[in-house]
Amino acid sequence: MPELYLALLDRILTPILFVLAVVFLIVGHNEPGGGFIAGLVVATAFLMQILARGDDFVRKLIGIYLQPTMGAGLIIAIFSAVLSLPEGGFLYGVWWKIPLGGDFVLEIGSPTLFDIGVFLVVSAFVTSYLLELSRPATGKRR
Amino acid sequence: MLTTLLALLALTGPALWLLKPHRWRHAGWLAALSPAVVTGWLLAQLPRVGGGVVLREQFAWSEAFGLALDLNLDGLALLFGLVIAGIGTAIAVYAGYYFEKNRGLGYFYALLFLFMTSMMGLVWADNLLALFVFWEGTSIISYLLISFKLSDQNALEGARRALVVTGMGALGMLGGLVLLGQIGGTYSLSALLAQPPATFIQHPLFTPMLILILLGAFTKSAQFPFHFWLPGAMAAPTPASAYLHSATMVKAGVYLLARLHPAFAESELWFWALFIVGGVTMLLGAITALRHYDLKAILAYATVSQLGVLVMLLAFNHEVAAVAVVLGILAHALYKGPLFLVAGIIDHATGTRDIRRLAGLARAIPLLGLAAVLASLSMAGLIPTFGFLAKELLLETFYSLLAAGETVIGAAGLAAAALAGALFVAYSLILLWEPFFRRSAPGKEAHVHHAPSTPFVLPVLALTLMGAVIPFALGALEHDLFAAPAGAVLGAPVEVHLALWHGWTPAFLTSLLAIAVGVVLFLGRERVRAALAPAPKWLNGAGLFDRAIDGLYAIAGWSTRAVQGASLPTQVSVTLLAAVGFLLYSIFKHNFIGDLNLDWSAKATFYEVVLAALAVLAAFVIVRTHSRLSAIISLGMVGVVVTLIYVFFSAPDLALTQFLVEVLTLVLLVLVFYRIPHQEHHPLPKRISFRHLLISATVALWGFGMALLAAGEPLFATISDYFSLNVLAAHGGNIVNVILVDFRAVDTMGEISVMVVAALGGYALMRASRLQPLGRRNNTNTAKRTGKRPARKTRGAA
Repeated sequence: MPELYLALLDRILTPILFVLAVVFLIVGHNEPGGGFIAGLVVATAFLMQILARGDDFVRKLIGIYLQPTMGAGLIIAIFSAVLSLPEGGFLYGVWWKIPLGGDFVLEIGSPTLFDIGVFLVVSAFVTSYLLELSRPATGKRR
Repeated sequence: MLTTLLALLALTGPALWLLKPHRWRHAGWLAALSPAVVTGWLLAQLPRVGGGVVLREQFAWSEAFGLALDLNLDGLALLFGLVIAGIGTAIAVYAGYYFEKNRGLGYFYALLFLFMTSMMGLVWADNLLALFVFWEGTSIISYLLISFKLSDQNALEGARRALVVTGMGALGMLGGLVLLGQIGGTYSLSALLAQPPATFIQHPLFTPMLILILLGAFTKSAQFPFHFWLPGAMAAPTPASAYLHSATMVKAGVYLLARLHPAFAESELWFWALFIVGGVTMLLGAITALRHYDLKAILAYATVSQLGVLVMLLAFNHEVAAVAVVLGILAHALYKGPLFLVAGIIDHATGTRDIRRLAGLARAIPLLGLAAVLASLSMAGLIPTFGFLAKELLLETFYSLLAAGETVIGAAGLAAAALAGALFVAYSLILLWEPFFRRSAPGKEAHVHHAPSTPFVLPVLALTLMGAVIPFALGALEHDLFAAPAGAVLGAPVEVHLALWHGWTPAFLTSLLAIAVGVVLFLGRERVRAALAPAPKWLNGAGLFDRAIDGLYAIAGWSTRAVQGASLPTQVSVTLLAAVGFLLYSIFKHNFIGDLNLDWSAKATFYEVVLAALAVLAAFVIVRTHSRLSAIISLGMVGVVVTLIYVFFSAPDLALTQFLVEVLTLVLLVLVFYRIPHQEHHPLPKRISFRHLLISATVALWGFGMALLAAGEPLFATISDYFSLNVLAAHGGNIVNVILVDFRAVDTMGEISVMVVAALGGYALMRASRLQPLGRRNNTNTAKRTGKRPARKTRGAA
């Protein structure tokens, strides 16, 4: 059963992929990465799970959240766009500096928020297609 | 303030939805708060705006792009705003009781307030394009409201018809508005109207522009021959019918015509188009109303007729006509809206809207009877109602034309208006007598089994009482409420002096004659109905429209089969060769080759050669292998090679994205091919193989050419420098990401929106058990309409 190896790989790889996605999302503005790539990584992680544990498992786990997630992503992106209305206009970049003590300063801006929206839309979009396509074509379930 | 009010209305809907209004008995009063606030504010502006002040407001929502929402509140906008907010207040209260504990109430409120926002924006907007956006907003919400009851097939069809007709008209109108903007050199309505009318009328593009704009206005305001969508829209919940399809939305077309009246009214085309279309609509609607027995259908055709009256009046560039339009709009909103609401209460109380089954309701629900009497008499135009005043001015218009020497037009208009007036009287009396006062019904009589509570009837009564009081408060209102909008329609200040009693003028005598004819028609109503019943079936606009739509499907099917019908290789060849063709065309047109400066000095490095060889090898395997899996894996191989090339050219972001996309598409391909049953592949005939080879080579050369073009000197000025210079200012180190989420964030926003739409569409597509050929479309539709997906059913059974 090849799925045995996959299940083992899934145990090891899936958490790593999720962490990697978060890292990509956070560092994305300055290093390689970003919301789009992080979304693809999350989709890959779910793909791993689909292959290892079957599409039903993943569908039961996250199926109902996919479309709401897409909607939430879009709303977050729009929110980030509207956020800057008083500062200069639609989708204008606004940045805040939050001192974290010591020399560390957290810079967070509306583009960051926008990136999170992109991330949610992309990850849910690709995952939903993977789930739909991996659904058995006939009425029978595996 | 105007923007704030728009925002208030827009936010009320979703907020109410979250509050789950169906759980509260008197939720309607809470919902009515925000439109009441808007109404109050507008009333407070009445003296100032009536005095000629125009309130302007600019909301710059994107200064960086120079985009702003311009709002203008002049007399006409104020009048429409009052109708929208005032009737909206009554509708909000009414809907709370109409839906009772129906869970749909929250959704209804959300749509209602979104509609209110769109409609208010439409009449306040000073920019042609903003007006168009709001215009489309009202169409879409109308569609959602008509199809409110998803299980009702008629509702879905009516909604689709309404959306297609008004949407088509609006597309034409967009073209017209753009032409208007080009001709006038500005998209600001107030700036356009400030120019002399000759600027537009003498322009060579005036005729197409006017026809396109009229198309939009006529489809929206249900003018002949587009009137059929309005009766079909009656499947909407009654509060929505009363509000959208009688009092406000259908008057958007009238509003646009009234707004553009000062600029266009001097043209011949304007006059004849409006006069004829309006006149035909007026008569057709009034006659058809007598044929129907459904309360809402009668009211719908009566609305069509009244809209015809307004459009016909706008044909004239005349002071009396302008005042008549203003009065007509207000009077109609104040009697037709309540009559729809009365029909809704009757439906609610007895379970039917068929007047053959109704009788004696005035005794059962006296308050409702009072409201119905006041509203019907106003619709009939009997003295001393508001409707009488409006009709009197309509007739007066034609008499003043006759006096001015326009004998033919004046006489024709007078005859049509008098006939329509008689028909108005006839169906008003039918509506009043049959359900409310006669003792017994001819059909199986329906009884009041669910008497409406007093607060349910209250908003209806309030509206009719308002209509009843206005004729006695003319002195206080005529200057502020009537003169200012009439002045906006005419484009010049208007003096309005109205009175209920003018003496025995010719108009009054004509009015009396019309009433007499109407009473005769009413008394002989059974004969009239019998005479009208055998109208030919094919003369039904909705049927013709459906046939046209079916024809469109047939054309689409034919063209698809013709271009892409054959096998997959043919489809792919057509697509790829089209791309090659377009590129060749543009290359020869612009002489790109001659301008191209290529630098061949760079030598290929060792690993580049290795990668290229790998890619070629993989491509070769794809073509030669017999196993699908190895073909797919080789395809992935090509992708990985490309990824590696990105890495060598230090584009880590691209490489990362390419690699992830490659992995995902690879698995997707495997999943898709897993579903397709295995087939034996026979070797292709030589001729076809050769053809495929030729096409492949062409496409390969095309790809090579593209690469050369991209590698050569840039043909256009590059903006990469701007990006690299400003990337630090944008608080980022990764230029790709900064472009995605900051510099070109609008593009990304569009892309993720498309993604969500594509996801929903793909979801629906993959859920359908299998795609059915076009000829069997109707079966699919019925399956969809019953609300059960066939795929689900079979799966459940298995």
